[in-house]
Amino acid sequence: MLDKLKEKPTTRPDYRIIGKPVARHDAWGKVFADTKYANDYTLPGMLYAKVLRSQYAAAKVLSVDTAEAVKLAGVEAVMTAKDVPHNETVTRFGQTHKVGGFEGLYRVLAEKKIRFRGEAIALVAAKSLAIAEKALGLIKVEYEPLAGVFDPVEAMKPGAYRVGEDESNVICSYKVRKGDIAEGFDLAEVIVENTYRVPMVDHAYLEPESGVAWLDDDGVITIRAATQVIEHFRGIADVLGLPHNKVRVIAPMVGGGFGGKEDITVETYLALLAWKTGKPVSLTYTREESIIAHSKRHPYVMKYKTGATKDGKLVAMEAELISDAGGYVFLSPWVLLYSTVKATGPYDITHVKVDSHAVLTNNTFSSANRGFGAPQPCFAYESQLDEIAKQLNLSPLEIRKKNYLHTGDSLATGRVLEHAVETEQTAEKAMEALGPPSQARSPSEKIGRGMASSMMSYGRMTFLHDTSRSYVSLDLDGSVTVKCGVQDIGGGQASSLAQIAAEVLGVPLEDITVYIGDSALTPLAGTTTATRQLYMSGNATYKAAMAVRDNLLSKAADILDTAPENLDIKDRKIFIKPIIKSDADRVLALDDVVRACAADGVQLYNVAQFNAPARELIDFQTGQGQVFADFTFGTHAMEVAVDVDTGKVNVLKIIACFDVGQAINPLSAEGQIEGGALYGLGYGMTEEVILDKGNTLTPSLAEYLIPTSVDAPDVKTIMVESGGGVGPFGAKGLGEPACVSVAAAFANAVADAIGARIYDLPVTAEKIIRALGKI
Amino acid sequence: MKTYPVEINVNGEWQKADVTARDTLLDLLRDRFGAFEVKNGCAQGDCGACTVILDHKAVNACLTLALQANGKNVTTLKGVGTPDQPHPLQQSFVEHGAIQCGFCTPGMVVSAKALLDNNPAPTRNEIREGISGNLCRCTGYNKIVEAIEDASLKREE
Amino acid sequence: MSTTEYIKPGDLSDLHHIMKEYKGRTTVIAGGTNLIPEMRNGEKAPELLIDISDMAELSFIRENNGSIAIGAATTIAEMAASSVLLDNSPILASAAKQLGNPLTRNRATLGGNLANASPCADTAPPLLALDASVEILSPGGKTRQVPLSKFFHGYKFTDLVKGEILTGVTFPKPNDSTKGSHTKIGLRNAASICVASIAVALDMDGKRCRKARVAAGSVAPIPMRAYRVEKLLEGKEIDAALLEECMAVVKEEISPISDIRGSLEYRSYVTAMILKRNIKHALQQEI
Repeated sequence: MLDKLKEKPTTRPDYRIIGKPVARHDAWGKVFADTKYANDYTLPGMLYAKVLRSQYAAAKVLSVDTAEAVKLAGVEAVMTAKDVPHNETVTRFGQTHKVGGFEGLYRVLAEKKIRFRGEAIALVAAKSLAIAEKALGLIKVEYEPLAGVFDPVEAMKPGAYRVGEDESNVICSYKVRKGDIAEGFDLAEVIVENTYRVPMVDHAYLEPESGVAWLDDDGVITIRAATQVIEHFRGIADVLGLPHNKVRVIAPMVGGGFGGKEDITVETYLALLAWKTGKPVSLTYTREESIIAHSKRHPYVMKYKTGATKDGKLVAMEAELISDAGGYVFLSPWVLLYSTVKATGPYDITHVKVDSHAVLTNNTFSSANRGFGAPQPCFAYESQLDEIAKQLNLSPLEIRKKNYLHTGDSLATGRVLEHAVETEQTAEKAMEALGPPSQARSPSEKIGRGMASSMMSYGRMTFLHDTSRSYVSLDLDGSVTVKCGVQDIGGGQASSLAQIAAEVLGVPLEDITVYIGDSALTPLAGTTTATRQLYMSGNATYKAAMAVRDNLLSKAADILDTAPENLDIKDRKIFIKPIIKSDADRVLALDDVVRACAADGVQLYNVAQFNAPARELIDFQTGQGQVFADFTFGTHAMEVAVDVDTGKVNVLKIIACFDVGQAINPLSAEGQIEGGALYGLGYGMTEEVILDKGNTLTPSLAEYLIPTSVDAPDVKTIMVESGGGVGPFGAKGLGEPACVSVAAAFANAVADAIGARIYDLPVTAEKIIRALGKI
Repeated sequence: MKTYPVEINVNGEWQKADVTARDTLLDLLRDRFGAFEVKNGCAQGDCGACTVILDHKAVNACLTLALQANGKNVTTLKGVGTPDQPHPLQQSFVEHGAIQCGFCTPGMVVSAKALLDNNPAPTRNEIREGISGNLCRCTGYNKIVEAIEDASLKREE
Repeated sequence: MSTTEYIKPGDLSDLHHIMKEYKGRTTVIAGGTNLIPEMRNGEKAPELLIDISDMAELSFIRENNGSIAIGAATTIAEMAASSVLLDNSPILASAAKQLGNPLTRNRATLGGNLANASPCADTAPPLLALDASVEILSPGGKTRQVPLSKFFHGYKFTDLVKGEILTGVTFPKPNDSTKGSHTKIGLRNAASICVASIAVALDMDGKRCRKARVAAGSVAPIPMRAYRVEKLLEGKEIDAALLEECMAVVKEEISPISDIRGSLEYRSYVTAMILKRNIKHALQQEI
């Protein structure tokens, strides 16, 4: 079986559009200022909404007095928890399949207890933003401040302040057990044990959370919002006590998501206010609101103990992961599950023991963020590997090569990696591309190099029974329409569908129109999360387009008196292979065949559904079983120059090498990899949401620092195309994998430069000076 | 609030409005002049999404009072080029894949235009310096820098 | 919400008449890069804005009679690109280049940077090292000069009284034997609020220091001169031992705080490091 799996295609199929660096169809609208985002939208009589937020991270709400606010001229609605039909429901994670347990409390507006600073208490809709802001100031809230708890380790202890209403602050715990860990450490000839900490970070998309809602002519609440999940229409309907088909969510082009627009943001508030006032309502968060009050990446405390033989073979890994979920559950259980499955990294380890816990605190709640729990353990396991390598006098590449998983190997969860696993190749290529080391320019400059590899799933967890649907049709004039509920957050989610349809139907890309993101009018395609859209909606679109193609070729075969297998379509011509232009008996114009189909009632449209492999929930006590359909494997290599007098780091080189399976659009694939590199670099180098007892000290982009154009060099991207992905044409997903191992590579490079290691991110100049013992 | 009349040339057309002393140029452009292409990413000059050219200089519209633009020329993305007459920057941004979510694009292209107007043949370092006030979270800046460099070469042709 | 009114004076004469007429109620706005965010977040609610951003009389960089004068409404971008400053006072051009980002530099002004008087004001340490004076216009037309070293009284508190406006900055053109260096420490390479900065200007007679000016930013409630370091250097030959002494002394003179950008220990340490580095660097070049 192993031999068969290692077979790689020796010749690449000759695609016309797949694999070509074509201009994305949505790029023109964006560059000519035609594209409208969620708040570039006004409707007659539109009201403006504002959200009143808690001034305390932990408190009882004794009373909320809205009388003055209601009386203010121009105010049309003030709502608190008592005005919400179902103020408490649950956070839904599966769109089509209910997953038992771990569905956390979703509370629309605060009541009883405040659980984090910035929690929403009241909503206002008014004729102008200025009036709405003034009304907020007139709402009087009486708080009884409570002690709160701000450290997840403290929050786990018996007797700790209770964040919610449940007995324990521990939301959930998982285990992975493989082999016998005690035996593993007995076998180990070198053992490295460390505690790693990673901070809370923000998605920092350029577009803050925003949307507009209105009632349509049939009274359907229609919400046009910057969202990654239009299927929240169900949860919103539940809050309002309405049937699901009375709420419609439309996603326009979204100005960045990264998981921060995966949970409900403005949608429920908009729906409530539109429903209450009967008027269109617009809501946009300020940047401060976005940083203070919306979801973050989980801070983790990670204890890792890794054991290896003196040859460098990993024989034991024991890890304890504690994640700070903040005030509400949201997607914490799932993020933790990802971390748990990926806690060992893309390595073969004989004995494994992982214990993980997600814990409520009164910090800002954390939920989905690009990588969804994979970057945190990556920092830990990649740092551990470098420390072991150092003790054994092996290079970082050598030790990894002794332990990389390959196609056909098993994870610690018992899951066999049946699809392409090319981590080792990516590591070799990345390290080679670093080239000769740069020279230090002064005695106080130290050059360092580091690498890190990762595995990151694409596609959702298989027990969610994920599906996606897409509609493809050929109209009478031969133009093509694709309709798919996909949400486009900038990764080319929409345009890759156009490319796929164009390839299958043999038409130019310009002949395709794509409609996306409408829960009422486009076939539902699931979430734009979990790096799943190319895989799922790409496959669904492929299936739908193939069905149309089959009908076309059937009809053409009749006309040409041949079998459909002998035909192909290119550039709007259907021909008997191979194409001989001079032979009229062998070629038909696509348009003619379309007309012939129409005349005979042959269907030239299809709605196809693609189902991901479906499994049931794994056993959380052993962690054994399959959770994901497939993974993307890659490596980052970096070179840095550290000024050991000031601690300042200059990033000299960033290399990123990924097995992308098949790049549908190389420009888009590179774009994901390059963008992911800077997203991860920020995590490693500059970003931290600093909280003091739950209060955000970094509420603006002047304090919360993401990399600018002068903070990093060009990213060199190397793509391996194994063809071994489960997406269309053998593609693998890239959006999240692109950012997972960057911070770890950065930390390893700095450690190499200064000969000392920093165990918590971000790796700042001050931490470097402290690690060097200078203060 | 007391209001004052202003007249501002936006992308070649003079437009009038009555503004308060606190209204920013960003407020005016988006709320009154329908210039939705000028984005609000932070409202305090940290992100560059609202970049416009004010009398030859690239500035944050959120850090300019509407009154301070009175009588002046403002260029937004729409004034840089159109589908009929695209600016080389617009063409190269698309061709190089320098646009992902597109939210930073209006400010980024406007900044790049101001850069090339003042420095027609910038080095890559100068390009990176020139756009260092425009944050992008999607692209990693690589393709944006390539696109600007390519456009600067094409302008010379 | 209180109302804000707006006046745009035509020239300097207009300006001081207006400042007199509306004495006590005026807030000057030039680039607005500090003031506009403060108005947005409610920190400031000016009654009357006096807009000097387009006042040609206040926008200049001139060399005359052995001194260099910069108008208060000169933008930071103009300062960063000025050949007068690049040739005569590169430490000032360096600080201007590292203030904010290209967009904010096109609006932010020298006058605003100094009058706002943040301890992190980027242009202050080089100007202190250049022995700069500020020119102040009083309501009614009187002018006065104040040495910059006496201009900052406390955290965001200057010598300006209500109705006064900072109109310009002058400093003596450094002679050929004066050498300088400037370093700003920030958390990233653009748009970075200063963590610590040092500017030095040393008038050298061979290896002996005739006159020393050393200024520090972001390590005290005000941009400050390190007088004791200056006295240590003056009249001496600068060698490694003296540099070590300077490092120890500067740590005593500054009073940094711990905040989200860094601890006081780090600020203290790095200020001393960049002082040493700046002095060494200055000795290798003309100012």
